[in-house]
Amino acid sequence: MTTSFEQGINTLKRVIDAPIASYFSSCTRCGLCAQACVFYTETGDAKYTPIRRVEPMRRIWEQEYTAVGKLKKLIGLSKTVTEQELEDTVELAFESCTTCGRCSMVCPVGNDIVYMIRRMREGLTAAGLGPKELRAAAVRTLETGSVMGFPMKTLEAQVRAAEEETGIKINIDEPNVDYLLLLSSAEVMQFNEIIAALAQIFQEAKVTWTLSSTAHEAGNPGMHLGSSEIEAAMINKIVEAAEELNIKNVISPECGHAYMAIRWEGPNVIGRPYPFKVYHIIEVLDKLREEGRMNTECCDAERITFHDPCQAARRGGVNEPQRNLLNMVSSNFIEMEDRKACNWCCGGGGGVNSIEKSEPLMDKVFHRKRAQIEMLDVTTVVTMCATCRNALEEGAEKNGMDIRVMGLTEVLANRLLKEKKS
Amino acid sequence: MSQDKQVLAGELQRHGISRRSFLKFCTSMASAMALTPAAAVEMAQKLSTIRRQSVIWLSFQECTGCTESLTRAHKPSLESLIFDFVSLDYHHTLQAASGEAAELAREQAMHENGGQYILIVDGSIPLKDGGVYSTIAGISNLDMLKDVAKDAAAIVSVGTCASFGGLPKADPNPTGAVAVADIIDDKPIINIPGCPPMPVVMSGVLAHVLTFGIPELDALGRPKAFFGDSIHDRCYRRPYYDRGEFAKSFDDEGARKGWCLYELGCKGPITHNACATIKWNNGTSFPIQSGHGCIGCSEPDFWDMGGFYKPLSTGTSNPGQWAGYALAAGAAAGLASAAVNKAAKAKADKVHQPVTIEDMGKK
Repeated sequence: MTTSFEQGINTLKRVIDAPIASYFSSCTRCGLCAQACVFYTETGDAKYTPIRRVEPMRRIWEQEYTAVGKLKKLIGLSKTVTEQELEDTVELAFESCTTCGRCSMVCPVGNDIVYMIRRMREGLTAAGLGPKELRAAAVRTLETGSVMGFPMKTLEAQVRAAEEETGIKINIDEPNVDYLLLLSSAEVMQFNEIIAALAQIFQEAKVTWTLSSTAHEAGNPGMHLGSSEIEAAMINKIVEAAEELNIKNVISPECGHAYMAIRWEGPNVIGRPYPFKVYHIIEVLDKLREEGRMNTECCDAERITFHDPCQAARRGGVNEPQRNLLNMVSSNFIEMEDRKACNWCCGGGGGVNSIEKSEPLMDKVFHRKRAQIEMLDVTTVVTMCATCRNALEEGAEKNGMDIRVMGLTEVLANRLLKEKKS
Repeated sequence: MSQDKQVLAGELQRHGISRRSFLKFCTSMASAMALTPAAAVEMAQKLSTIRRQSVIWLSFQECTGCTESLTRAHKPSLESLIFDFVSLDYHHTLQAASGEAAELAREQAMHENGGQYILIVDGSIPLKDGGVYSTIAGISNLDMLKDVAKDAAAIVSVGTCASFGGLPKADPNPTGAVAVADIIDDKPIINIPGCPPMPVVMSGVLAHVLTFGIPELDALGRPKAFFGDSIHDRCYRRPYYDRGEFAKSFDDEGARKGWCLYELGCKGPITHNACATIKWNNGTSFPIQSGHGCIGCSEPDFWDMGGFYKPLSTGTSNPGQWAGYALAAGAAAGLASAAVNKAAKAKADKVHQPVTIEDMGKK
């Protein structure tokens, strides 16, 4: 298709389903979602009220699907959505929303505002208004198989480096193993120590696993764009690889939105059930801990805290495994005041961190996270999402905070190593 | 059961009850009955100066549960002292005298306090076969009720049996049991139903009668202050009902989470009583709180309402045929509107084109 304003409006008409219709008719405009949104609390600007971000979609719903709305449109009381309006909505639906879902959680009538935002984004993308950074990422992912656009040989080089470091052979495209491991581009390019870390943990636990040469990317810019079609194309790559290799368990890496896409949205967007199960890597590691297959040294007394990634914890339901694992290796794990389902967003998720225009706003909303961390007087913040990790590191650097940010898998691998050395 | 004409204030002092705690009692009574704050003070003044009120308590076809409820309520309290303070001149379970001496006490009280005494009745009155199914000292319940009611100032029917016939009246009602109000029609009658009634309701109503006279009553002769709301309206599980979260059996997950017991036969929606607010055993709990539905014991014919575990299938009022028409019309309108909307969506689907990699800006 060719994106156009008309296609955008048509898509919005199309994506309004029964849940969205009931959400709009249930909204009482109580404003609780504003209080839950870090972009509102840190700026005080009412335009960032979550439900307001989907106002064009609300008017289309009213005018197209309700009797009162049809009448209002007829006599001119309700104006139709204009091109300018859709353009203005890009800031609200993309640039200042991380789809963290704190709004959905507090909504007293149970409206899933994040779901509505995603469909709003779908309309904007069909109108050709999707942010250029996210569109470019989608092209890179579909063309090269990686969000950052690196070729397979880059991953191969990282795998070889990890093999050399650990002396453990790492499989690529090995069929019939226990797990297919997906990685995010950030883990390949920036946080590549995770490959060696997992190789050691899995070796110790006698878990067989492989990477796939056609589906190693867990990230899904299609989901950020709200485009069900692009999202499905990316999910399908993974499903096909797992089916071809006959693998029954797929691991989503330390990446929040990847888990949301592959674990929760995937079967819906591709329209069929998976022949395999999906786990977050931290769920897998906690299972190994529970079965006594991962032996680590106890316990580090350093003051550490944990940042729950929105998509994995609040939206995805992975809340306890990370705590079980941290308590296994640390004697000084301190909880943040708002945590688990209530945690405040790092400010970088949902594609926001890749949109250049969003940077000043991201810096501003990071103050909430900063206050949460500084209150605890910790030396290390652990998380389990590459995007959160990037946002936390950047925020800490810009604000001169004396903290270290680590991925949980890396923390565990370090404790594993120490035991081996001793 | 002396005839000592003491005033209450002095009696309380002798029992070591301070004026402060007496006022507290009056305040809680007044608030329980939703009286104005000024009424508490008035009640205190009146109660402290009244003389002992003669009370005759007749027990007919009953199980003594009402008396148990009252006397074993909880630790000796002001409520029970109020009962100590009234001159309970005849109560065949509690009085020491027996046989002719007991009946003599009743006759003496009736003679000395003619037109002044309060008659409390628990138990129903059998009418079938000349009332032979329950007699006291050879006198049928019917005769004794008529005789004692004649000179009473007011009658308080305690318990569901006296109020509405209760268990003895349950189908097939072998003794022809009826309520007090079915026999006496020329005296003020206050019904305090419940199987048994709540102790505080009994003492509260008595305190009201002693100070302000007959309280405001509902259509079934029950004091509105205690029977004005349904159990359902005041139930702490009400939010689950509103959300449609029902326990399906007594040990399922819903039951453990404290969900609404409606589907397990709870009669809370049609039962008027104060259990959900005042609670039993000194405010400890009430049946719904301990996991069992309300059986509706303060309502007429509660025993014949189709089973304690059978859910109420419809509301308490008949929606009527007009509602059926309205429903059908609403459903038709809804379907028509849904069809129009469906067509609008289908049209949108038809002109929709999938977003492709080219749309993302692929060169």
